[in-house]
Amino acid sequence: MVLTGRAGILAAAGVVFVALVMPSWAGVGVVVAAVLVVCLVDILLAGSPRRLQFSREGDNAVRLGEQAAVNLLITNPGRRVRGLLRDAWPPSAGVLDPPHKLDLPSGERRRLTTHLVPTRRGDRHAYRVTVRSIGPLGFAGRQGSHQVAWTLRALPPFKSRKHLPSRLARLRELDGRTALLVRGQGTEFDSLRDYVPGDDVRSIDWRATARRGNVVLRTWRPERDRQVVIVIDSGRLSAGRVGDAPRLDHAMDAALLLAALATRAGDRVSLLACDSAVRADVRRPAPEDVLPSFVNALANVEAELVQTDFRIVVSQVLERLGQRSLVVLLTGLDPAVIEESLLPVIGPLLRRHVVLLASVADPRLTELEAARGDLLDVYGAASAARTRLDRDRLTATLTRAGVTVVDEPPEHIAPALADTYLSLKKAGRL
Amino acid sequence: MSTPVGRSVGESWRALRTPLLVTGLIVLAAIVVLIATTARTSGQFSPDSTESTGARALAALLEDHNVDVHGTESLNDAVQAGGGSTLLIGPGGSLDDGDWRRIADAQWSHVILMRPGSRALDALAPGVRPTGNSLAVRSREPGCELPAAVKAGTVTVNGPTYSAPEGATTCYGDGINNTVIRLQVGDRLVDVIGTPSSFINDRLAEDGNAALALNLLGTHQDLTWYLPQWESDYPDSDGESSAQLIPPDVRYIAWALAFAVLVVAIWRGRRLGPVVAERLPVIVHAAETTEGRARLYRRSRARDRAASALRESALGQLHEAHGIPRRADPSAVVATVAARTGRDPAMLYELLYGLPPLTDAALMSLSQELDVLTQEVRHP
Repeated sequence: MVLTGRAGILAAAGVVFVALVMPSWAGVGVVVAAVLVVCLVDILLAGSPRRLQFSREGDNAVRLGEQAAVNLLITNPGRRVRGLLRDAWPPSAGVLDPPHKLDLPSGERRRLTTHLVPTRRGDRHAYRVTVRSIGPLGFAGRQGSHQVAWTLRALPPFKSRKHLPSRLARLRELDGRTALLVRGQGTEFDSLRDYVPGDDVRSIDWRATARRGNVVLRTWRPERDRQVVIVIDSGRLSAGRVGDAPRLDHAMDAALLLAALATRAGDRVSLLACDSAVRADVRRPAPEDVLPSFVNALANVEAELVQTDFRIVVSQVLERLGQRSLVVLLTGLDPAVIEESLLPVIGPLLRRHVVLLASVADPRLTELEAARGDLLDVYGAASAARTRLDRDRLTATLTRAGVTVVDEPPEHIAPALADTYLSLKKAGRL
Repeated sequence: MSTPVGRSVGESWRALRTPLLVTGLIVLAAIVVLIATTARTSGQFSPDSTESTGARALAALLEDHNVDVHGTESLNDAVQAGGGSTLLIGPGGSLDDGDWRRIADAQWSHVILMRPGSRALDALAPGVRPTGNSLAVRSREPGCELPAAVKAGTVTVNGPTYSAPEGATTCYGDGINNTVIRLQVGDRLVDVIGTPSSFINDRLAEDGNAALALNLLGTHQDLTWYLPQWESDYPDSDGESSAQLIPPDVRYIAWALAFAVLVVAIWRGRRLGPVVAERLPVIVHAAETTEGRARLYRRSRARDRAASALRESALGQLHEAHGIPRRADPSAVVATVAARTGRDPAMLYELLYGLPPLTDAALMSLSQELDVLTQEVRHP
């Protein structure tokens, strides 16, 4: 049951009526009875919200920060329903519309569109559709809710895709599709061609030259069809917020850029998100399916406040890799955690594969270290210096062990990881 | 595709009727019990009070002897014409002369005053005066001819005493200071009793207290037990006039207004569906631990640790800038840096490898000097 402003006005008019016309108990009774009767009649005449039938259609997924539209189809088999309709979603689904106005004659069907801009990654489930049906007199009405299931998946935003064109251009240079061809860009034999003045004499294939009678040059190109496994640590090291998002989100961004780049470079990319259990697992999707499958798998991964079990990571990676491959580990550079749980188990990985560890550095630490104001600032600077020294030492340890380390602030981590990948490829280390 | 949420009217009624019925029964039972057990009077010497200073025991005893005890706190009950019945006026309260006169004008055939003040005595027992002395707790003989007292024998007595006029019977005292006085005023019997504490629940069983009380109070079938209150409440006092000054119309308007407010409250208070709750991820700054460690350093005044971190950091920058090997000897480092910056080697050594600072001020200046040094290295 709901009342409207008109019922309030009627009751207020009743006060005037009692004051001027019937200042007695009878007057009060007349007013109360009048309001009750009018409201009751209106409620009885209002169309039933319970009998409405709903269904949905529209977007299933949207990139974080972009707008999605979900349609609601309403069929009315009963009396005419006039009033308001609220399509309720959780707050972070970011519903833009105020409650819809509804006027649905008997036997008809309407389509209402709810626009959403999710503010958080992950699945958002529609909560309820609440309909307030006001009676023909406009004094009172009925209200009822329906569960109309729909899930909108907010995908990782992939903000770093703006870096993709420039990296692809560099990849083409490496790939030999540009005029520049010097020895050292890859180790995989591509083809033989005639020598052109200006070519690197070290690339001349003397045996072929002897056979053909003119100078022939070997060309090289970077290896293709290599395996790249991107491992995202979704444990507590990724939970800390750096800038305006958790480390995990920055790591996803970097992972997506690397995946896009490696796919274009002809490599096969797999994805693993893992803490104390595997949270997302995508194995060698078809090249055109890499980004969609990755964003879908990552959409619902949230940082868990548990210690990541790197033994799972290592065994999972070893299980799916045969040939020498690139393993990219996106985690945090926390000396205690890495030294105690990663270093003891990383040996088998290092023996067979190239391991790259990428971590999002916190610019706040740089700020802290540079701050010189009062005493707390100095202690803060000392504490930040200690943290950085520990990280530096850990980086040195990892580098000695054969791990390539990328430690960059959030805005640089994705391009830096891509650049490291390109330089590894260029050096023929894959 | 869609499922209605919540219950229809019929379902709500079926689901709610049992709880509503049970609640209603409980409320009803509570009201009945409350009305049945509410004491009409309360406080000291109240016939309904079972506390140690109450007089429930005495009232029960009187009921056993076929006396109808009617306890009241209302002056109206005390001024009703009461021919052939007894009025007991309890101690305490504050009635003015007019109130006492109205009690005196009522047709009580027997009035018992418990520890009365001089106003009560003026109105109801002319000639009796408080002496200003009081008796300590002790068992006393009646020492008089009053049959009620003679039959009761010794009674534990204490409290203020009164002097009696000629012709009054005086008991439990020395003839000048008396605690029980009986006198005839017109055709009315008046008892002045200075020792109501002899008849409270705690003491009624001592000596002949109960007997004396029964003999004094049980003269008539009806006993009105009036406990005067602190405010006087006869109709033309100022207390009730403010309610009567409001014209009756305003009351109806107020009720209509209250109804209108209720309607508006229902209108505004009904939400369009419930609030949607959602689990939010915990967000902790990644630098939180570092900042926490800074506060720990400060609280424990860990100047040595802070200084060594700052020095190590500065040394790292010097190593990098000057290409000094990581494991270089301190003296070699100092010599190199001194040669590049032109600083005094001894002071440099003190700055980079000296003892930890002893005061916060020293730590501050150390950090500043290290800053200056690394700045110089970066921009020579």
